[in-house]
Amino acid sequence: MATIEELVEANAISRIQVEMHPRDQALRLLYGTPGFIAWLGELAKGSQPERRLGEATPAEQVDDLFNTFLAGQPLVYMKQFRSIRAEKNAVWELKTPDIRIFGWFLQKDCFVCVFGNWADVIKDHDLYRGYRIAIRRLRRELGVDETLCVQGVTPGDVLSL
Amino acid sequence: MTSYHFDIGSRARHAGRFIGRVRGELLRALSQRKNADRLSQQVLAEKLGIQRSLINRQLTGEANLTLRSLADLAWAMDMEISFELKKPMAEAGQNQPILNQAMATSTVQYSQIRYINGGGKRVSVFAAPANPETAQAKKSA
Repeated sequence: MATIEELVEANAISRIQVEMHPRDQALRLLYGTPGFIAWLGELAKGSQPERRLGEATPAEQVDDLFNTFLAGQPLVYMKQFRSIRAEKNAVWELKTPDIRIFGWFLQKDCFVCVFGNWADVIKDHDLYRGYRIAIRRLRRELGVDETLCVQGVTPGDVLSL
Repeated sequence: MTSYHFDIGSRARHAGRFIGRVRGELLRALSQRKNADRLSQQVLAEKLGIQRSLINRQLTGEANLTLRSLADLAWAMDMEISFELKKPMAEAGQNQPILNQAMATSTVQYSQIRYINGGGKRVSVFAAPANPETAQAKKSA
């Protein structure tokens, strides 16, 4: 049975951190797969094409979302996070105006990011099903489907609200 | 790699988090009013004489918020806006910045306990200087 520590040691996932306000402590945990970390690095460097709907840049939106998540602040269900499908071992989506991040909750308040992409690309090409299937496959390969995956699908199952 | 620090720079971080905080506050306020008084986006739209889709896009961050639209939304929700600019102040119990960049952990480093008046009852603890050489120079002076 794999543990989070073993997954980190095997480089299957890495912990993601952001600069937090001195008053804040990390009350939740965030991890990412190597592919997601690479995507995040590109986003931070600003090499993604400049297109956005809101005032904040995509990198700013993601930084704010991660900070809100890690600092244990409330996230609005459906607007900032939701499950792709109400099913056992659900795949979850974190949302900003321009960006969607897909992954799953290893435990309550502990999310692992697997895919990040532009919201309009995902909608135009209907990538939800593909991401959901790919994440379920990855969990099977890692052997964590039953052990490191929150079973419930209500907001209170995955986040301390 | 066991840990990745997502750093977009101080200026971008401040801007993004401020915008996020304003929108988050609007979303939470509307959610509370919806639960308490069944105040929906549709009711807000009718009160303001604009389309519901515009309110939805403003709340989700897909449309820009002006100071006017922010004030209008607050008015329609019967909420007051509190806005203040202040210098960052250190607060009791907050995290300390890491003084020595070479330190591998976030543990605050302390120098040796110094006894005052040669007694063992009262002690004083000082944070270690960021640059030991400067401290040594001060001591010799």
